[in-house]
Parts: sequence; C-alpha cells; structure tokens
Amino acid sequence: MNYRTLFAPLLTTVLTAGLLAGCGTDKAKETNNTNAGNVETKEQIVNIYSARSYDVDKLLYEQFTKETGIKVNIVDGKAEELIERLKREGESTEADLFLTVDGGVLNNAKQAEILQPVSSETIEQNVPKQLRDSENQWIGLSTRARVIVYSKDRVKPEQLSTYEDLTSAAWKGKILVRPSSSLYNQSLLSSFIELNGPEKAEEWSKGFVANLARTPEGNDRDQAKAIVAGVGDVALMNTYYVGLLMNSKDTEEVKVGESIGVFFPNQETTGTHINVSGAGVTKHSKNKDNAVKLIEFLTGVEAQNMVTKENFEFPVNAKAEIPELLKSWGTFKTQQIDLGKLGEHNAAALEIMNKTGWK
Amino acid sequence: MPFKNVRVQIKRKLNGWRIVSLMGAAAILLPILLVFLSIFDAPNDNWLQIKRYLIKDYMVQTLWLTLLTGLLTTFLGVSLAWLVAVFDFPGKRFFRWALVLPLAIPPYIAAYTYSTMFSYTGIIQKTLRNQWGILPNQDWITLSSMRGAVIIFTLFLFPYVYLITRAYFEKQSASYIENARLLGRRPISIFLRVALPLSRPAIAGGVSLVVFEVLSDYGVTNYFGLHTISTAIFQTWFGMYDVESAMRLAAWLMMIVVGLFILERFLRSHRAYSSTTSKSKPLTPRRLNGLPKWSASIVCFSIWSFSFLIPLVQLMVWASWTFETVWKADFFSYLTRTLYVAALSTCIIMVFSLIVGAVNRSRSTFSYMLSKGITAGYSVPGAIIAIGVLSLFLQLDRGLSSVYHGIGFGGTPVVLSLTAVMLVSGYVIRFMATGYNAVDTGFERVGRKYSEASRILGMGMTRTFFRIDFPLIKGAVISGFILTFVEICKELPLALLLRPFNFDTLATKTYQYASNEQIYEASIPSLLIIGISFTSVYILQYLDRSEKR
Repeated sequence: MNYRTLFAPLLTTVLTAGLLAGCGTDKAKETNNTNAGNVETKEQIVNIYSARSYDVDKLLYEQFTKETGIKVNIVDGKAEELIERLKREGESTEADLFLTVDGGVLNNAKQAEILQPVSSETIEQNVPKQLRDSENQWIGLSTRARVIVYSKDRVKPEQLSTYEDLTSAAWKGKILVRPSSSLYNQSLLSSFIELNGPEKAEEWSKGFVANLARTPEGNDRDQAKAIVAGVGDVALMNTYYVGLLMNSKDTEEVKVGESIGVFFPNQETTGTHINVSGAGVTKHSKNKDNAVKLIEFLTGVEAQNMVTKENFEFPVNAKAEIPELLKSWGTFKTQQIDLGKLGEHNAAALEIMNKTGWK
Repeated sequence: MPFKNVRVQIKRKLNGWRIVSLMGAAAILLPILLVFLSIFDAPNDNWLQIKRYLIKDYMVQTLWLTLLTGLLTTFLGVSLAWLVAVFDFPGKRFFRWALVLPLAIPPYIAAYTYSTMFSYTGIIQKTLRNQWGILPNQDWITLSSMRGAVIIFTLFLFPYVYLITRAYFEKQSASYIENARLLGRRPISIFLRVALPLSRPAIAGGVSLVVFEVLSDYGVTNYFGLHTISTAIFQTWFGMYDVESAMRLAAWLMMIVVGLFILERFLRSHRAYSSTTSKSKPLTPRRLNGLPKWSASIVCFSIWSFSFLIPLVQLMVWASWTFETVWKADFFSYLTRTLYVAALSTCIIMVFSLIVGAVNRSRSTFSYMLSKGITAGYSVPGAIIAIGVLSLFLQLDRGLSSVYHGIGFGGTPVVLSLTAVMLVSGYVIRFMATGYNAVDTGFERVGRKYSEASRILGMGMTRTFFRIDFPLIKGAVISGFILTFVEICKELPLALLLRPFNFDTLATKTYQYASNEQIYEASIPSLLIIGISFTSVYILQYLDRSEKR
C-alpha cells in the first residue's frame, strides 16, 4: 500500500476530528469548570430541563439569580423528549429540575422514576396539597382551567351546564375543539375516565365527536376565532388563551377575545377540569438544594403575581393577587381528583379518542 | 498462487479511501442501526393498537401527501426551469436566481405564517371583512388540512426540483435542444420529447429530496393536524410514552425510503447519463415576444411572491410589532451558535461525502450499499435520530468514564453528552444525504473517463482525486455545501433534543414562541433564519454566475 494513498484521506479525517474535538473541549472545559466549581469555589448553579418556556419564566429566573446568586441554566424542549433524555441519562444527568405544563406528564415523569421527593415547609405552605404530588415528587406552579367558551351573540350562558351536556342533540354541529394530539384534550378525557369510568368516558367522547362542527384543527386560539367566524357556537379552551387574546397587540384578536364568553362547567356536579404546570427535582440531581430553593421562589407570592399578571394562568399560591380579568370570570369549583391520575389514564384516553374518531 | 492473489485483492480493495469510508460509515450507521434494530424486538400492546386504529389511515394520508406534493413540485419546478433556461423575457435574469429563494423559508415557518394570515384575524379575512363586508366560508379559507399542507410544501420545496433541473437544461441538454430546434421542432415538442426524457435523472434527484423532506416532516403536518407516519411516530412517543414502538414505526418508514431508493436505482439501471462532449455549450435562450413575453414574467412573479415575498413581508410586519419586547442581545449568540454548529457539521459532511463519493465511482454493490447506508439518516425523523445518537453517546461516556477520571475530569462521567459534539454528530447523520447527493451528482455528471485516463496513465487514486476529480466537481461541492448549511440552520428536532444547556439556536427559539402560540414573537428568529439562508442562496447564485463567465 502506498503511503500517499493512505495518507490523504486519513489526514482529512484526523483534521476534521481535530476540529470536532476543538469544539468539544471548549464545551468540555466549561462543563468541567462548573463541575469543579461545585467542589472548589462553590459557584452555585441549577440546571433545568424545561417544557415550559414563556418569556415571563426567563424574567423569573433572572430575578432568582439576582436574589440568591444561583445561576440558572436551561435546556428547553418537548416534555416527552426531555423525559426520554432524562431516562437515558440516568445517573449521568446534569439536570436538577424538570418543568412542564401538564399534570399527566408530571405523573409520567414520576412513573419513569426520574424524579425524587422533596420536603420543604415553604413549598408546603405555598402550594395546597391538591396541586402537589402525594410524595412531593412534583409541585404545581400554576393552574389552567379547560372551560367552555361561547359566542356572546348566539349563546346564553344559561344554555350551558356541563361537559356531559355537550353531547346532547342541542349542540349538534356547533362544537369546536383542537385535535386529539393536544395534551389538554387527552388530560380532559383522562379526568372523565377517573371520575366516571372508561365506559362513560368513551360514550362521552363518541357523543362529543358526533356534535363537532368541523374536523378538529388548529390550536386553542383558532377555536375562538372559529366561533367568531360562525363555524360553531361553543369550544373547549384553556382560560389563559382568552386572556392572551384580549391583551394581544393585534386589534382583531382583541375583538375575538371580547366576543366570546367564559363558562366554568360542572359547577353543580364534579367541577371544572383544571390542569397544572409544575416542577420536580430530578432523581440524580447534583444541586438539589438549589433546585428546591428555586421551587420555593417560583411558588412564592412575588413570582406567582408575575406569572398570573403576564400569562393569565391561575396562581397556586392563595396569597397571590388575582388580576381584574381573571376576577371578572368569577370564582369556580374545580375537579377534585388526584392530578397524577391524568397521566395514569393517558393511554386509555388516547385509545378512546382513536376508537371514537377524534381526529 | 492463491495466497498471493488474495493479498493482491485485499491490497487493491483496501486502500485508505475505503478504510476511511468504512470507518465513517460505521460511525454514522451505528445510531441509525440502534433505531432499526427495534424492528426485531417483540411488539407490545401499543403496537397492536397502532396497527388496529392508526396505521391504515396514516399510510393513506402519507401516501396522498407525498404523491400530491411530488407531482405538484415536479410540475412547478420543471416548468419554471424550462421557462427560465430556454426563453428570454423581462425579469428573467432576476427570476433565474430568485426562484431559489423559497428554500430560505423553512416549511414550518411558512405554515405558521400563512395559516395565521388566512385565519379569521389574519390580514386576508380582516381585509375582506372590514373593507368589503365579505365573510368567506371558513372551510374553504383555512389552510389546516391536507390541501394546505400540499400547498405549503409545494410552494416552499419546488426549488429543489427547479434548481437541479434548470442546471441540467442549461448545461447538459443544450446540444440536444439546439439540434432539435435546427430540425424544426416546436418548443412544446422539444420539451416533451427531448428535454423531459433526458432530464429524468435530474428531476428524480430533485423530487426525491422533496419526498424525503415531506416524509420526515413533523412541523407542518403536526400544525395542520395531518396524520402521517411521521406524526404517528410522535403520537406513539408522546401519547403512549412508548419510544420502542415509535422507533419501530421509524424503522418501517426507513424501510419504505430505502425501498424508494432501490426502485429509483432499478428504473435508472443500465443508463449512463454523462455528457458526450467534452465541453458542453450553454444553451442560447430564445427571446419571447408579445403576449407570451409578459405572461412569462407574470407567472414567475406571482409564484415568487407567494413562495417568498408575501410571507417575508408579513413576517417583517409582525417583527415590527414585537421588536421591542422580543429583540435582545441574546439573539446575537443564537445567531453565532447556529452559524458555528452548521458550518462545522457541513464541513464534516462535505469531506466525508467526497471520500465516499470517490469510492462509489466504481459503482460496485459494496459502494452502492455504502452510499445508501450513510444517506439513510435523511429518511428518519430528526427526533428519532436524536434518540439513537443520545443512546450511543451515553454509552460512549460510560465506557470512557475511567479515561475521564484518569485525565482529571472530576464529577460525573458525562463529557461528550453535554457538548455540542452530540448535536454536530446528529446533524452529520441526518444531513449526510444532502451533501453526498450533490457530490455524487457531480461525479456522475463528469463521468469516469477522465479519472480512468488518469489511472491508466499511472496516477494513484489520491493524486487523481486532487488533480482531476476535485477541480471538475468543485461547483457541485460548493452547492452541496451551501444546501447542507441552509438545511442545518433550519433544522429543529435534533437541535431541540441534543443541545447542551443554555444553547439555543434560532430554530429552537422560533419553536418556543410558536409552540406557545406566540406567532408574532416567532417572527424575529424566523427572519434571522431566512436571512442566513438568503445570504447562502445569494452566494450560491453568485458563484454559479462567475463560473459561467
């Protein structure tokens, strides 16, 4: 074999490998520093895998760093992907905190055994029991209600009563909802499985799908727009989207927000379905104390005020101020179920949706 | 003497080029193999559910989507390429390169933009309603459907077909077209009977890029609520928490794509398409007059507007609404990171493409398998590749942990998995095909006679490569580089899953805003992505022009 034949391609490979390594060591050094830093200089950090990334969250982290000197590092992503990443990383993970926007997913994270219990009096004071995991493997940071919104022109609130009533003949061809791929819908159906059993839930899904005004499409805001456009009269929506519509920079969106009403269903019976966004400390966290401090901060009054004001979610901390808009919708009774059940029934809910043709 | 024969054989087959190809291919194939192996695991309950309720619907929708998009992109891409290559009309010089620009807009951004524009509060319905009191039928005007997805994919992917076919018309088929003209054929007849049959490989190359893009897309299909195999993969993963079944679906998708590759190869077998003359003469365009002249300009302008100008202007308007709240110094770091990672990955891809491309010129079964193997990543949804890469790197890290301790890295045995190395590897695996196909097309166009002559005259493979092959295909390498670079800048799922802490790219930032239904806020990172892609495409055109001179 002649040297040159071997040499040229090998050289290029080595060069590229070198280039790669260069990019690697840079980062490696950085990581190494943070690791070494923990031991020697005690530079305080907390690493988050987050599926909840609103601009207000960034502001909160900055505020946290200012108050405590603990630096916050973030990887954003889809919750399910982050869970899979945490599962595969196991002990090697650098993540300390996992954040997401659905109780079902939080429970799945717990089931995947990537979280650990925390005990903190502050957290227990800040967050009511119902909005925490039974072992405090996850803690609620804010709640959102999945309500019925209706056209103020064509529907009177008196005509509305329960989720179950949406399957009655009166609503034939008048209901709007986003596709079954949305976690919000899966969790809603999971709550019915928990409350009424799988048969009733399937019956409901069947009747609900039969009353749809169109094949499910778009996101939550699109359902509101479709109401105003006259495609249907009522829709299932999360409350904070109504807040976001009414505070949009786009005047047309504001008009849409103003033309729809918010109705909290099932007040006489099981209560309105709520979901939770929350955080859990990872099982192999290397900065557990800092992670707990961050949860304490996020559930504290100051942070809770900000979340509600900027994002129109409901606070978990009872001491937080409620903005006018949220007050105007009135107080309401919520579903009293263990939110962890949302995740347990998720697969069954999805099967029902597939079976009953909820696209 | 048999022993000596074997040694000679090995010596002949196993030169440095082949060794490097094999090593590289192994590195690329390993994560893909991890995905593929899931086909052999025992299926679980979820798999039965998927088979029972989902597969049929998903297969049918996937088929329709790819078929319709494939046909429409072919139609649009080929006819525009023909128009621009063969005729002269007002604005032609501009449209010649401007029609490539839709590639600068990722389909998922286009989907957000257009569906918001066509929504009830969007500019179109707003104008109809407030200016003229027209309330259009919502079923017809919304884009969230198969129809919308086909329109978006066609408008923003047709340049793949256009670009390759136009280059072919301009350079390769000139002598045939001129001869047909001399023999008195009318333009339509030349197009149907000469140009179209001849340009089949070019068209096939372009359309296959479109098809793979559609097959592995998640952004557009998910946003429009379509049920394709790719969305099924994610529903299995996210809805059922069953990554194993998701990987099994991905493996099947991969099989389909490999099947398509083999089919294409079968259809083209026994055909060599290299040019017959040593220097192909560029085609002289024919001047159009009267009505056709202006119609050509209008057609080009309207397609260009829909696929580039209109969404761009809309994004700029939204950017002006949100500029103050969204624009932060951070964006500079998103920008540099995006550029850095993309440039690095692209370099690796191109170098390796050249090596395998050179090996593949023997067109043996071995080299064919090699080339198809390393390009398989294009058919697998990014998130699935990400899982393969992640598993591999974690195992590597575990294996290497003693080494890390040895050289003084304390703490946890994670080094590779937390760095951009993982992301770069993911990109290389996923986008090998884009770079490699360009290089391979380059080699195919040049044919083998020059290098064969060089080898006969006693030059080695390496020498032949640097003295003969590389200069001949330099153009293809550069365009391959730019196409790959643009693809990586736009890429989303890999970046989401494989990036280290505090490492946002423009695509992940866009995704964050869009997934929070903050479409207006997403416009600024979107525009930056478009800016990078625009510059790249502009450079591509500039180089192309200077090469022509």
